[in-house]
Order: sequence, then structure tokens, then C-alpha cells
Amino acid sequence: MSVEAAPQGKLPWRQWFRLGEYPMLRAIRRVADRRRQADGDFAWLFNPYTGDELVALDCETTGLDTRHAELVSIAAVRIRDDRVLTSESLDLRLARPASLSGDSICIHRLRGVDLEGGLEVREALTTLLEFIGNRPLVGWCIDFDLAMLDRYLRAEFGFSLPNATIDVAQQYRKRLRRSHPEIEVQPTFEQLAERLGVPIMGRHTALGDAVTTALMHLRLESGALAAPSR
Amino acid sequence: MIDIDFTHPPFSLLDDAERERVLGGLDIAYYGRDDVILDAGQSGEFVFVIHKGEVAELDPAEGPAGGRIGHYTGGDLFGAISVINGQSRYRFVAEEESLCYLMPHTLFLSLCENNAAFSDYFHQRLISKTRLLAERRAEGGVTLAGFMLARVNECMREPLKVGSTTCIRDAVLTLRDKGADSLLVETPDGPGMLTKTDLLEALVLEGRDGDTEVGGIAHLSLVTVDESQYLFEALIEMTRHEVARVVVFHGQQLTGVVELTDVLSFFSSRSYVVSLQVEQASTLASLSEASQRAPELVEALMAQGVRMRFAMGMLSALNGRIISKAWHFSMPAPQRERACLLVLGSEGRGEQILKTDQDNALILADDQQWDELSADTARFTSVLDDLGYPRCPGNIMVSNPQWVGTLAQWRARIRRWVCEPDGDSLMRLAVLADASGVAGDFALVDRLHDVLIEETRGNELLLTHLARGVLRFSTPLTLFGTLKKPEHGVDIKKGGIFPIVHGVRTMALECGLRETSTHDRLAALASLGRIERVVAEDLGEALSLFCELRLRAQLAYRRDDAPATDAPDRVVVQSLNSLERDLLREALHLVKEFKASLSHRYHLEYA
Repeated sequence: MSVEAAPQGKLPWRQWFRLGEYPMLRAIRRVADRRRQADGDFAWLFNPYTGDELVALDCETTGLDTRHAELVSIAAVRIRDDRVLTSESLDLRLARPASLSGDSICIHRLRGVDLEGGLEVREALTTLLEFIGNRPLVGWCIDFDLAMLDRYLRAEFGFSLPNATIDVAQQYRKRLRRSHPEIEVQPTFEQLAERLGVPIMGRHTALGDAVTTALMHLRLESGALAAPSR
Repeated sequence: MIDIDFTHPPFSLLDDAERERVLGGLDIAYYGRDDVILDAGQSGEFVFVIHKGEVAELDPAEGPAGGRIGHYTGGDLFGAISVINGQSRYRFVAEEESLCYLMPHTLFLSLCENNAAFSDYFHQRLISKTRLLAERRAEGGVTLAGFMLARVNECMREPLKVGSTTCIRDAVLTLRDKGADSLLVETPDGPGMLTKTDLLEALVLEGRDGDTEVGGIAHLSLVTVDESQYLFEALIEMTRHEVARVVVFHGQQLTGVVELTDVLSFFSSRSYVVSLQVEQASTLASLSEASQRAPELVEALMAQGVRMRFAMGMLSALNGRIISKAWHFSMPAPQRERACLLVLGSEGRGEQILKTDQDNALILADDQQWDELSADTARFTSVLDDLGYPRCPGNIMVSNPQWVGTLAQWRARIRRWVCEPDGDSLMRLAVLADASGVAGDFALVDRLHDVLIEETRGNELLLTHLARGVLRFSTPLTLFGTLKKPEHGVDIKKGGIFPIVHGVRTMALECGLRETSTHDRLAALASLGRIERVVAEDLGEALSLFCELRLRAQLAYRRDDAPATDAPDRVVVQSLNSLERDLLREALHLVKEFKASLSHRYHLEYA
């Protein structure tokens, strides 16, 4: 997820998509999807993952409302051990969506012309699924990205992403709560990156945010919060 | 996502397609403080480029304390040698949290295979890398542009005018006295140009005699430029009209002449102009004016990518001329020719960059009577002071009777220093070993070196004492980033320059060499087989690099209008680019090895 928090006074965006995305619902839906896909091309995605890789994921969209916004680009990068495998990354641009507007262009900086020659939705999703496989997914407020992708996937293939997920924002809040129970923070992407000493690589490009997110995840995993840098 | 600076070697050596491969082939890894990134003996699987952070290179074989070899920071590359050799010789540890790009060895080796220049970079010795540095600087062109934008009036000479009724004989005399090649003849029809060639042709080919008036020979059709035109325009005019000089006007007023040779040397180094000024100076005041311009000359030479040792040679020649002229202006005639004025220390070695303290001494001829000696030498010291050479705080100056004497007196002093080799005596011996003559009877300085060699030959104990000086300051391999305040920098004089200069000086003394410059001594030692030629070349190159970095710090300091003598000997490593850091690291490493070999040779471990 790579859009700024909504202006004050409106319903925070985080709640927008939570309404339709209860974890329990997800789990139930996954079971149903699995049975339906048992003989399909993507049955293998539903197998439990046994490797040691993760995939950091990020989408750029035309808006914040997961019911209407459209995908502009999708990026994913693999994480193995303590390395971010930028050499094994995916950076997909989709064909220009109908709702591409001035507002979102200001954020992701992908203009109409930049999306010329972009992929058709089905092709992009197939490539993405091949790349991520059944690896666990890592993202910044990943629920938003999942909601977006699932809407597209359901339309094309009739299932949602079954992968296990790690939300870096949530991971951070959880770890912070463990060491400083009294603090309640909602850091922005930039604040957390700075806090963890991670340079922000290409903010608001899908791949840049995916790589930064991957680095933040590695930092959190290596216990960067255990010894506060300040 | 990969943010690598492609403007510096080795990555600048890659072509666009290869850069794309690099951008697409790198991974990113994060290392916490004290994480071992690559251990000794581990196989080299990646070449690392630091994006952010600091990494130390350690030699575990030398134990935890002494084993520091290098230090790397943002933009630096390490691990390439491990990939080439198959395994790492040293241990790389993150000194602080570090973010590195990892280039898989397969990608690195395939880049090496396809790109010879890139591959060479990792196999090259210091000497070829410094050449890269000089080339890059010459490409920089910023300062060079300053030269191209020079105006005519910065390079012109005063016009040498004679009346049209002057005879050829007088004209020739004028040319000789003024050291000029051409005259302007004022005729009723306007000024005319008269060159040496014109005179020669008139006398020889046309058979005129010396009493002919020059008005009839001069050329009245002049090639002219305006004072405010660019110098290169004057050069173009000369080329177009096939002449070697143009006349300069300011409006209607004739103000000067620009000679082709002056323009060419102006563009090549500007040194000629300064040295011309020194040669033409006929008073101390004009000499002082010329000597003020020396730093400007050095800066210009450096900007053009002139190799450091040549720049140093040029400057020390110039300083020598200035001191020699000062000697001529201020000393009585018969005395000054019989004695020999010496310059010592860095000046004697010809390795002085900006003017520093005066270090000088005087050898008197054996039977020389110089009644006003102490008054005269004191005056000379203050003359040099006025010229911009501050007095030596250690009082190594001709005004100190300790540094004046006949050869017999010098021999007695040297003998005493050799017998009682305490710190002072060793310092004096070292300073004297670098002595070069600048004025007077140069035969005396040769004989002084004979004396020095005779008195010290075969004295192993003395050599050991001398050599120990090399170990006096530690070589700052550790100072890169771990200093509390990095802006304090690395003391390049103590850590780099001194060990090389002093070590080489000690070896030179042992072998009875008469060379005084470190580069010449190294070459002589190499041809004697005392030191490997490769090592000698690299040490020379390391010395040049240190001098250059120090000079740059000093020039920067000068620009802030502080006196050059307090100039810092420290180089702030963080202000260097990654190529320079790479070179500095390698050069300091060479110094460390050189010190180790000296301490083996002179048994310093036991002393």
C-alpha cells in the first residue's frame, strides 16, 4: 500500500477495507477457493510453503477505495535469508486503466503515456502468481494490496490470494508494544524507514516501496527495535 | 532501486549495457553492527558495494588489535579480490549498521571477462590507478576552462619601442639587453614590427651594415588584437597570418606585444610566466612579487593533470631560483661565490609544495675570510622572511652559527652527531642528508655529501637508530571512520609521507647514495637491487599521492586566507571520492608493509 493517510476528518483509509476483510472470512474463503481450484492451473498455490523465501509486495493504484480503484503497477521482490534479492524482482505496469486521474498521477507519477504498452490484467496476474507462488507475502499495510489484488483475481480466476501474509506496519506496532506497552503510534512509512535506518528507495514506485518494505522487514526481524537507536 | 555512482571507477569503465546488467543483477543486504560480512577463508561469492555504513577489513591472523587493514564506507567496493582469488584473505566486519549491494560472483566475473578495462582495474597496481585519477582530473576541465578564458592582457609583454632613426647595431644591443625577440619601431607612418629574423636578413642577405636605420626595415602591416580579447583569439590570429607575435591595442593606444611562445607556455603550464618573472626580477621587491605567484602555478599544474612529482620538481626549481637570486641581491660579491648555500629538508629533496619554513645552511670555503659573516647571514634570513619563507622554528638557518662552517667544521659536527646519536643529532643528520646546493660553489655540497657518507658508512648501529624514526608515528589505517570526530582526518604527513621519506633516506645513507630526492633515491636503490623495482615504483607513487592530497588540503586552507605554514597536514577522508579513498587505502597499506620490511632489515623489533 503506498498512498498517504486520508485527510483529517474523513474515515481513516485503514478502516475502509477492513470492513469487508475480516480474517475469519478470508480463512473460510480460502478453504472454498482451494476446493474449487483443486484441478485448476493454480492448485499448487494452495499448498503450504516449505521454502525459506518471502516476497515483498506493493501495488500502485488510482485511488484509495479498494472497491473502485484500479491497479496501475505491481511490484514484488524476493527475500532470502538476510538479503533482498533485487536481482529477482518483478515490476509490472498494467495497461492504462479507465480511471487514471490527475490525483493519483501526482502520487505514483505514472502518467497515461507511461503505461502505454502495459500488460493486460490477465497476463500481469499470471506473471505475478508465477513469481510469488505460495511464498508468504510481506507488505506495508498489506491488507490494502491484498484487497486490490483479490478483486482482480476473483474476476479473472475466481480465487483470492491464499498466501500467508506479514504486515510490516502491524509487525512494528506489535514489537513496539512488547517493549513499550504505553506507546501508541501510527508511524508513516517514511517515519518507520527513518526509525529503522532504512534508506527510502524510489518512494511511490511500486518496486521502490516493495524493496524498502523488504528492508524494513529484515530490520525488524533482526531485532532493530530491541536496542533503540535513539 | 540500485543507487550506484557510475561516474567513478571501476563502474565508470562499464558501458551502458553492462551498467544495465549491474542494475538488474544486484541484491541488497543489511548488516548489523559487528556482523561478519565476509570471513577469512570464506569463499568469495559476492562483490560488495556499500550503499551506506562502514566496514572494517581485519586480518584475524594478526590478532584482534594489530590486524586492521582497511576501512570502507559509502560508495566503496570490497570483496572483488576474494572473488578473483576464490576465497577471502581477510575478515570484513560491519563497523556500524551497513546496507550493501551484493554482486554475485558470476556476474562480476562475466563483466571482467567482457570488459578488459574493468577487469584491469582490479588487477592494477597503485601506479596505474593514480594515472586514472590524474586523467579524470584533467577531464574535469573546470579550472582548465579558466585558462581558456584568459584574456590577452594577462599574457602580454611591455612593448619595446625604438625610434625609426635607431641604427641596427643599437637595435641588436637593445634586444640583447632586454632578452627580447622583437622591437616596435615608431615611424612617421605608425608603429612597425622588427624581429630578429628581419635584422638577420637585412644584415646578411641584403648586405646592409650596422649603421643602417631600422625605420626602413620594419614591417608596417601589423597583426593586432585588442587587450580584452581572449588569448586563444590571439593564437588564432597568429596561426592565420603565420606570425609569431601580435601587437596589442587598447583602443587607439598600443599597449603591448603577445609572443607565440608566451601563449603556448601560458596554455601549457603558465610556469614560464612565473619563472620569467623570477629571472627578470632585478630587485628584491619584484622577486617577492614573483614568489607570491608560485602557489597559483602549482594549482594550475594540478588542474591540468600534471603528475605530482613533476609539479614538485617545477616548484622546487623555482624556489631554488628565488633563493639563489635573493642570495645574489643581498650578499657581498666575492664571498657569496666562494661559499655554498644549502637548502635542507623537504626543500633539499625537491619535495616542497607550498613554501614552508626556511631550512638552510652554509658551507664556507676552507680559507674563506668573511668578516661580516654573522651580520650578513642574519640579513639573509630576514630577506627570505620578507620573501615569504618564515623563519625555521628549529633554528636551522644560516643565521645560526651552528649551521655555518667550513668542511672541516662540518666533518667535526657530523662526527659528533654520529657518536652521540640522540634525537637531536639524528634529526640533524637526516636534515643534512637531504642538503642540495642552490647558490655559490656547488663543488662544496658534493664534498659535504662525501664527508657524510665517509662518516656514516657501515655504522649499523647508527642506521638502526635512524631507521627507528620510521616507527615513531603509527600509520593510520584505523582512522578512517572510527575517529571520534571524522573531520579531524588522517595525518597524512606523519602517517604516510614521513615513513617513506625517512625510510628511503636511511637506506640511501646506508648505500652511500648522493641523490637527495626520494624519487631519485628510490630509483637508485632499485638499480642497486636493494629494493624491488615494483616496490620502489609503488612507494614513489604512494608518496606522490600523499603529497597531492596534502597539497589539496593546504590549497583549500590557503583560499581561506590563512598563513600557509599552519596549513593542515590532515586529510579528511570523508571528503574524498571513492577512487581516491581506494588509492589512499592502498597507499597506506604499502607504507605499512614498507615499515615492516624496514623493521626487519634494521632489527627494530629487538631494539
